[in-house]
Amino acid sequence: MRLVISIHRTSLACLLSMVIHAVLAGDLLNDGPFTDKECVNCHVEREPELIQQWRTGAHGPESGLVCSSCHGDRHRGSAEKARQNNTCSSCHQGSASHSYATSKHGVIVILESTEQNWKKPLKTGSYRAPGCSYCHLHDGDHDDTMTTDRGPELRHWVCSGCHGPRYVREQFANAKRQLEIADLKLAEGEELIGDVDNGQNEMLLKLRKRLIHHRKNVLYGVGHQSPDYQWWLGQPALDGDLIRIRDAINKLNH
Amino acid sequence: MRLKLILVVLPIAALLAVTAGFAYVQWSKGGAGTGLYSRDWAPDPVQGYWDPDNFYHSPDSVVGVFEAELCIQCHQGITPGIVADWSTSRHAQTSEPVYCNDCHGSDHQQLRLPTPDVCGSCHKKQHGEFKDEARYGFPSHVLAMERAVDAPHFADKPKAEVQSCVQCHSVATKCDSCHTRHRFNTAEARRPEACITCHSGPPHPDDESYFGSAHGKLYLAEGKTWDWSKPLAKGNYKAPTCAYCHMDGGRHQVAHKSMWKFGLREINPQTSKNQVLRQRWIELCNDCHQEKEAEQWLAEMDQERKQVWGKLYEAEAILKDLRSNNLIQPEAEDRPPYPMGSLWPRERIGFFEGQASAFYNVSAIERDYFEMWYFDNLGSYKSAAHGNMHGVEKGHKKMSASLERIKTYAGELRAASEADSNSKKGVGVAEFWSRGAYTDYNREHN
Repeated sequence: MRLVISIHRTSLACLLSMVIHAVLAGDLLNDGPFTDKECVNCHVEREPELIQQWRTGAHGPESGLVCSSCHGDRHRGSAEKARQNNTCSSCHQGSASHSYATSKHGVIVILESTEQNWKKPLKTGSYRAPGCSYCHLHDGDHDDTMTTDRGPELRHWVCSGCHGPRYVREQFANAKRQLEIADLKLAEGEELIGDVDNGQNEMLLKLRKRLIHHRKNVLYGVGHQSPDYQWWLGQPALDGDLIRIRDAINKLNH
Repeated sequence: MRLKLILVVLPIAALLAVTAGFAYVQWSKGGAGTGLYSRDWAPDPVQGYWDPDNFYHSPDSVVGVFEAELCIQCHQGITPGIVADWSTSRHAQTSEPVYCNDCHGSDHQQLRLPTPDVCGSCHKKQHGEFKDEARYGFPSHVLAMERAVDAPHFADKPKAEVQSCVQCHSVATKCDSCHTRHRFNTAEARRPEACITCHSGPPHPDDESYFGSAHGKLYLAEGKTWDWSKPLAKGNYKAPTCAYCHMDGGRHQVAHKSMWKFGLREINPQTSKNQVLRQRWIELCNDCHQEKEAEQWLAEMDQERKQVWGKLYEAEAILKDLRSNNLIQPEAEDRPPYPMGSLWPRERIGFFEGQASAFYNVSAIERDYFEMWYFDNLGSYKSAAHGNMHGVEKGHKKMSASLERIKTYAGELRAASEADSNSKKGVGVAEFWSRGAYTDYNREHN
């Protein structure tokens, strides 16, 4: 008899524990699937600030992106899914993700993927190395926390979770100087191109595209701390563009 | 009598010349920068983080002397990421932890960024090997920083711009390029991704060429499941990684078996010295493959290099011919002084004339040759060395296309010159090539 009671007690405890875990894991909540309208209708009540950030940010309704684009349409694991690099790189391909993937941050995330726990919130110092979301959606902010219009303080604060404040300041200051130099190259090229056929020469416009592409590589290089994008795919590539623009103009004049 | 005079005067003159040369080199290293051109440049403020021994200044924001748990208590709040990293490192998880102050010092106003010498005070074997790599010359990790700042384009370009160079070349001045701070994990450095932040991109696509090889594909497919705590020794890994071959046995000398000089110039692969190096490669490959196979691969690479240099020399000869007939437009004297206003403005063609710096302030045909030599050739070289046949094919196709472009362009230049043999140099050429937002800035801010 005592044994039976004891078994009953154990099963009861087990059952209770299962229920608690299930509730915590969202199993007994309606797990979906949800339409994006349903997501917004519910979350606008619970997290109005978050919805506002999404609406005014780069991923807002105008971009065509909706909650399910990153989170999927189920409740379970939705935050974890959206935090992962693969989610971002399915759209942000090419230089944007490659410059990150070859940076030390990107490399560490790949190498330590077995212990990278995307369930953790995007809070200061919670990850060994940042994924896309740690910096760009820091602390769950649904506007991009790394853009210039959010101001330098926010960016400095995000990086300072792992790097010394002076280091962060100096790196950003150098990044700005590197970009200013790339902009000077862009300006030099555009001025040269603008002087020919009112800036409408087809061949020169092709070269202008390369100039803009390489300038963007410098931006990705300094933003993601990828020396290769700063240098070989950036600054010397811009130098090459300037040479070829001048050469093309020279040929047109003869 | 005359012979005696010569015998006396010549050695004295030689001695004076050597002394004067030595004094000049020493003097040239005494400027605000470092290296041979140190008097021509001053560092960008961020350079202290890449070359701490020469340029790092401790912050003066905090006063006091702190040790061990005191540092951690404060930094737990300020930079929790660093503390979390350290806590999971071997430095923290021993009976006698290596605390912050052991590497950075205790006086907060005199903190240091740890250099290889600091790490070497405990890691003696690795540090000794690392320093000793200098005897293999360059390319090598240990000489990377001094050779970077001795490149004319480093001294010549705005210092903010060339900070991108020193980030990778800091492999000579810090240990965390491969073992990232503050975990400093040995296993991390054994894996190929640890190298790709620097070993990627047009002149050194080690990532692409390796990941596309049979070795790399095997690593990508299965590497996650391998036990990376094992040393880089025979039988421990199913496929080799960068470190397995280039730092076999954990030897901290990537140049230990280097003989192709990064593919930048032609070498004789059969000198007695290179035969020793070839044998080292064969022994290494022999961990998994038969010696005969390794010999065959090396012979194939010799062939590949020979073909490449045939093409490169052909292009070089075309350019030198154009130069001797004054057909390169604009001529060296019509473009911005480079490098740093040399006494004899001259187009620099080929390795020994400083081609490695000749990627800007040059004519289009010289830039074409630079890309053929620095990008197409090196892409092919890396592919050949890493056993990526597709990459070799791609590189050779690119080289042939570049060579054709150079030939066509040279033909146009010759034809234009013949058609207009009496024409004088165009008016305003120098003005056209030497003015512009960046070009002007570069002249003022190097």
